[in-house]
Amino acid sequence: MATTTLEPRAGTYQRSWVLDWLTTVDHKKIGILYIVNSFLFFFAAGILALLIRSELAIPGIQFLDQNTYNQAFTMHGTIMLFLFIIPALSGFGNYIVPLQLGAPDMAFPRINALSFWLLPLGGLLIFSGYLFGGAAAEGWTGYAPLTNRSEGVGTDLWIIGLALVGTASILGAVNFIATIFKMRAPGMTLFRMPIFVWTMLVTAVLILLATPVLAAGLIALFIDRNYGGSFFDPSVGGNPVLWQHIFWFFGHPEVYIVILPAMGVVSEILPVFSRKPLFGYRAFVFATIAIGLLSFSVWAHHMFTTGSVLLPFFSFMTALIAIPTGIKMFNWLATLWRGKLILATPMLFALGFLSMFLIGGISGVMLASPPIDFHVQDTYFVVAHLHYVFFGGSVFGVFAAMYYWFPKMTGRKLNEPLGKIHFWMHFIGFNLAFFPMHQLGLDGMPRRISDYSPDAGWTLLNMVSTVGAFLVAASIIPFLINVIATFINGEPAGDNPWEGNTLEWATTSPPPAYNFDRLPPIHSERPLFFLTHGHGHAAVRPEDLEETAEDDVERRDGAV
Amino acid sequence: MQPTVASSRLRKILRAGAPMFLIGLLAGCLLPPEPKTEVGKDVFNLYIVVLVLAGIVFVAVEGFIVYAIVRYRRKPGDDTLPEQHHGNTKVEIIWTLIPTVIVFILFGFSMATLSEIEARSENPGVVVQVDGFQWDWTFRYEDGPVIEPRGNEPPVLAVPVGEPVRLVLNSLDVNHAFYVPQFLIKRDLIDLGENGPDNELEFTITEAGTYAGQCAEFCGEAHADMKFVVEAMEREAFDEYMAALASGETPPPTGGGECSTTIEIKANNTQFDIGEFKVPADTDFCIAFENQEAVPHNVAIYDGGEAIFTGEFVNEPGSITYNVPALPAGEFRFICDAHPAMVGDVTVTE
Repeated sequence: MATTTLEPRAGTYQRSWVLDWLTTVDHKKIGILYIVNSFLFFFAAGILALLIRSELAIPGIQFLDQNTYNQAFTMHGTIMLFLFIIPALSGFGNYIVPLQLGAPDMAFPRINALSFWLLPLGGLLIFSGYLFGGAAAEGWTGYAPLTNRSEGVGTDLWIIGLALVGTASILGAVNFIATIFKMRAPGMTLFRMPIFVWTMLVTAVLILLATPVLAAGLIALFIDRNYGGSFFDPSVGGNPVLWQHIFWFFGHPEVYIVILPAMGVVSEILPVFSRKPLFGYRAFVFATIAIGLLSFSVWAHHMFTTGSVLLPFFSFMTALIAIPTGIKMFNWLATLWRGKLILATPMLFALGFLSMFLIGGISGVMLASPPIDFHVQDTYFVVAHLHYVFFGGSVFGVFAAMYYWFPKMTGRKLNEPLGKIHFWMHFIGFNLAFFPMHQLGLDGMPRRISDYSPDAGWTLLNMVSTVGAFLVAASIIPFLINVIATFINGEPAGDNPWEGNTLEWATTSPPPAYNFDRLPPIHSERPLFFLTHGHGHAAVRPEDLEETAEDDVERRDGAV
Repeated sequence: MQPTVASSRLRKILRAGAPMFLIGLLAGCLLPPEPKTEVGKDVFNLYIVVLVLAGIVFVAVEGFIVYAIVRYRRKPGDDTLPEQHHGNTKVEIIWTLIPTVIVFILFGFSMATLSEIEARSENPGVVVQVDGFQWDWTFRYEDGPVIEPRGNEPPVLAVPVGEPVRLVLNSLDVNHAFYVPQFLIKRDLIDLGENGPDNELEFTITEAGTYAGQCAEFCGEAHADMKFVVEAMEREAFDEYMAALASGETPPPTGGGECSTTIEIKANNTQFDIGEFKVPADTDFCIAFENQEAVPHNVAIYDGGEAIFTGEFVNEPGSITYNVPALPAGEFRFICDAHPAMVGDVTVTE
């Protein structure tokens, strides 16, 4: 496509760029704020991870005393999940979803700004425990009654900070749902929406249903700790297992909140870089919805060893999730089949996602079997599993999105050789860091221990894991150099550097404040494909070009 | 498009490589420890079934990804579009069935194993209430003796081999978990107050020995230190052990209870009473160490600068028996870690 130059409309006026960014309600600027903020927290939590791995490299206590160690892994988990992965993917959602729908902005721009600004506030509150005698140190799951009884204001700050972050999520979810249902361009029916939008929609519904449960649990815990409540403390009649039910009723949908948008990113990238449509679009949408529904019936698989849950039911429901996930995996593989694969950095991270998330998925099915769970629950096997899902899955998705959409956001393309160096260091470091943990867990190394005996036989694998963790950290250096250098003086990207087929590529890079001057006709989930390759191309299905009655209705009622 | 020579060669390599990889996977990698309980054996067998299924899925999917990258990589300059497949209902139904079948197989095996684990015997060989608390353990035998925590030393839970052992898991404060990796089983200790009974755990140990265990549920600051030892012994030895406990005597030494060779070493006036000792190679042995003064001493064995065995310190007059793992033939030194001048030679002979 030719590059179109868009002149700003009348009414622009000068003001300082700082004030501009602080007060912006433009979904694109808010999206970038989300992403920058997420990466700052990513670096902070990454440093905590390096501290943890340094301490565990060899037996004995070297760097951190037990209490500091416990704070480090608690903060690492909390920050990585709540302030890096979820907001980073929300940030891409914020930037991309309105563009992919052909909308000028999110439905509620001011709520959008509010839901962003609550995040750094909540994050700093969580971290501020370090200034007031120590951060929370009960693990990111905050199990009662340990959390009821721990001294120190750090845990209270953790509760309040998380409640704020949760509020931000809920507001964002409402905004996404409203945007997706009410702001679609004429012709953009639900089944013509890009898969990324579908995954963001299901994610938003999960957030809306699950996060208030966490918020309620946090408030109950705060009452227990500060106002003599008795929800969770057995010494005053509470039930500690209740906390686990509440936490995981939120916590398991949360896993899908974290992974579904990354699946969406990958489902955008694989077709573009295979030069094919996503295989089985509808099956993929239904699989996404099925995962969302099932995610509310599996929470107690985190609680098999408590002796308080119905094992066969939760085991069965958990194993069922393998079916829609398997469908997705097959659809991705079929998308590659007989494609013409372009191995640019976004594609490398997307393929990395496939191969690493697979391992997390397999170990997840293993953990769904209660007898196996009885052995490896709360060991490093679970740590390996969750990192293959969150890091091998979601974080690879975040980086794939970064390399894929950076040209749209800045108008400049990230450097490919640096991107490939980043990918390979990241991929090798990740596997060195986390694959040995499977064996450590099978050997019986419990998670959340600051030290282990030299006789236990865990020393070598722990050392390997630490080396891997430092390699992952080192891989961030080429990434940062790449981002900064490209930002200053990168290769101009043009409107559509990857030959993408969704609407965000139909406007300038970066897009103007109002996103689109003119929208192409939308007859399928790949509007630009038919614009580029047009009528008469063998690959164009007749039904993709038909004007349906539905289109007319959409056009009449369309919000644009 | 016809497959090229290179791609059919690749296919051959993949075909040959996949089973090799599986065998390699099963040959010792990614396995739990050899199970020492009857339920552990069931769990182990289930795990093998699951691991084989997992291995097949892993090899198939990763193999396809690698194959696709090699086979379908775009040739430089090729700007044509590949055929645009939008989907195929038939194959999609087939590959919905594949994970479904796997899931049902897994679920069936899991439930069969689960019923073995949950089975309760009518007459357990011993019933012990396990009290977990921050950050140690007390073991209360149903018929009397109580094993109190021992400070830095993990407390010892003695149980008979070949008889069901029933544990009542009672938390005195926050959540803990009783976990012995070699038993392949764990269960939480949760104080439910009025809300329910304590968890129980039952297993039958199949082999006498010393098994290390520790708390597996994060329980606060010193969680990592919350260790214990299970000492599994034959019925006779167990009865003697319990009798000794009941009469208030020091129970017989831990470590299988039997030492083929025991070396006696005494420390006094910051000196060992012997300057050398000989032990057979590749055989575990014991050191009966007696500290006769109120100065901390221990016995450690070094190979050059590297500690092979480090015995626990005895801080005041008292005795301890160290179980020293087998050494290869050669010359070593024994030393008191607090007093480098207290040193002697160890000769390990074939």
